[in-house]
Amino acid sequence: MKTALINGSPKVKSSNSGILLEDLKAYLVETEAVEFGLHTGTAAKEKAEALNQADALVFSFPLYVDGIPGHLLSCLADLEEASSKSKGIRVYGIVNCGFYEGIQAEPALQVLQNWCEKAGYVWGGGVGVGGGGGLAQMPKTKSGHGPREPIEKALKALAEAICSEHVQGDQQAQDHQQIQENQYVSVAFPRFLYKLAAQMGWRQMMKASGGKARDLGRRPEGGED
Amino acid sequence: MKLIITDLENFKVPVEGDYKIIQPQGNIRNCIGCFGCWTRTPGRCVIHDGYENTGIDMSKCTELIFVSRCYYGSVSPFVKTVQDRAISYIHPDFVMRRGEMHHKRRYSNVIQLSAYYYGETVTDAEKETARKILQANADNYDGRVKNIYFYKSAEELEGIRI
Ligand SMILES: Cc1cc2nc3c(=O)[nH]c(=O)nc-3n(C[C@H](O)[C@H](O)[C@H](O)COP(=O)(O)O)c2cc1C
Repeated sequence: MKTALINGSPKVKSSNSGILLEDLKAYLVETEAVEFGLHTGTAAKEKAEALNQADALVFSFPLYVDGIPGHLLSCLADLEEASSKSKGIRVYGIVNCGFYEGIQAEPALQVLQNWCEKAGYVWGGGVGVGGGGGLAQMPKTKSGHGPREPIEKALKALAEAICSEHVQGDQQAQDHQQIQENQYVSVAFPRFLYKLAAQMGWRQMMKASGGKARDLGRRPEGGED
Repeated sequence: MKLIITDLENFKVPVEGDYKIIQPQGNIRNCIGCFGCWTRTPGRCVIHDGYENTGIDMSKCTELIFVSRCYYGSVSPFVKTVQDRAISYIHPDFVMRRGEMHHKRRYSNVIQLSAYYYGETVTDAEKETARKILQANADNYDGRVKNIYFYKSAEELEGIRI
C-alpha cells in the first residue's frame, strides 16, 4: 500500500502542516509513505499522475480565511482534471488553524470532501487542529504528554483508519462513503495563554522587522479608520 | 462603496451605485504565509503585483460582493487568493467573539457580505459549505451576511442587478 503525504502549505520549509505530516508518518505502519508538496498554484501533470498511483492521499494544509488556501484550491482543480476516477483512492485531510478551536476547520474539510465527490475519490475523514500556529514552539514529548498530546491522539486514530481501510479493500471502502468522522482537537495549552503568546509573537516579529509594536494597528494611507 | 471581487474577466453584471471591482488582470501571486502584511507593512501585502491593497479597499467598503464560480463550495482560486492576500483588513491580535477566537478589528467599518455563485453542477452539499464559509467570513471580518445566491451560469447573472 502506498500513501501520499501532501503538504499544501505555501511554505516549502518549516510549516506546521509539515510537522503534522511528520507526526502522522510515525504512526503509519505497513504502508509506504511518499511525500509531495503542493506549495504553488499548479499541480504538474507528472505529480498528478504520481498521486493517482497511491492508494490513499493525505492533504495537510493551513486554514486560510475559513477555507482552503487559494493556491491549493487551484491544484485541486488540476487534480480533478487528471483524476482517474475509478480506482477508489481514499482521501484524508489535516487542517491546522491559527485559531484555538479545531472546529473552525470544518468548512475547509467539507470543501475537500466535496472535491472528492467531484474528482471521484472516496472521502475518509479528517482532523481539524486548533492552535496549529503554535506547533513549532511546542516540542513533542517522549511520554506522549504535553501540549501536543490531543493532536497526537487524533493523528494516531487517523493513521489507524488509513491502514485498516486499506486492509478492508476497495469495494468496502467505496460502500461506506465516510468511514471516519472528522475529529476536531486543540493543543492542550490554555486558550488565554495561547492568545497571549501569539500577541507577544506579533510584537517580536514587528520589532525584528524594524517596526514598533503600536504600528501593528496602523491604518495605511488611503485606508479608512 | 461596494467592493466586488470576481473571477470574471469580462464582467457584465449591472451594479447599482458606487463600486470598485477586483478581477483577473495578469497573474496573481498566491499568499506565501509570511504575515508581512501584519508585521512588515501593516495593512498591505508585501507582494507587489497589483493585488496588495485589497485590505485597504475593504476598509472603504460597506458591501463586499463575491461573484465567483463555485469550486467545491468555495469561491474560485482567483477570488480566494485575493481574499488570502487581504487578511491585513483585520488586526493580528486575537479577540473572543461568541465563544470563539477571532481577530481584532483594524478599521471600524462593518461589512455586509454577499456571494453570487455560478456553476452548472453545484451540489446541495456544496451550497451548504458555501453558506457556512460566508458566515465564517462575516464572523472573521466582524461583519454580516447579506445574501447568497446560486446561478447556473455567468450569463444568467447579466440579467440581474447587484
Ligand atoms: C492568509 C492567511 C489566512 C489565514 N486564515 C486563517 C483562518 O481563517 N483561521 C485560522 O484559524 N487561521 C488562519 N490563518 C493561520 C494559519 O492557518 C496558521 O498560521 C497555520 O498554522 C499555518 O500553517 P502552515 O505553517 O502549515 O502554513 C491564516 C493564515 C494566513 C497566512
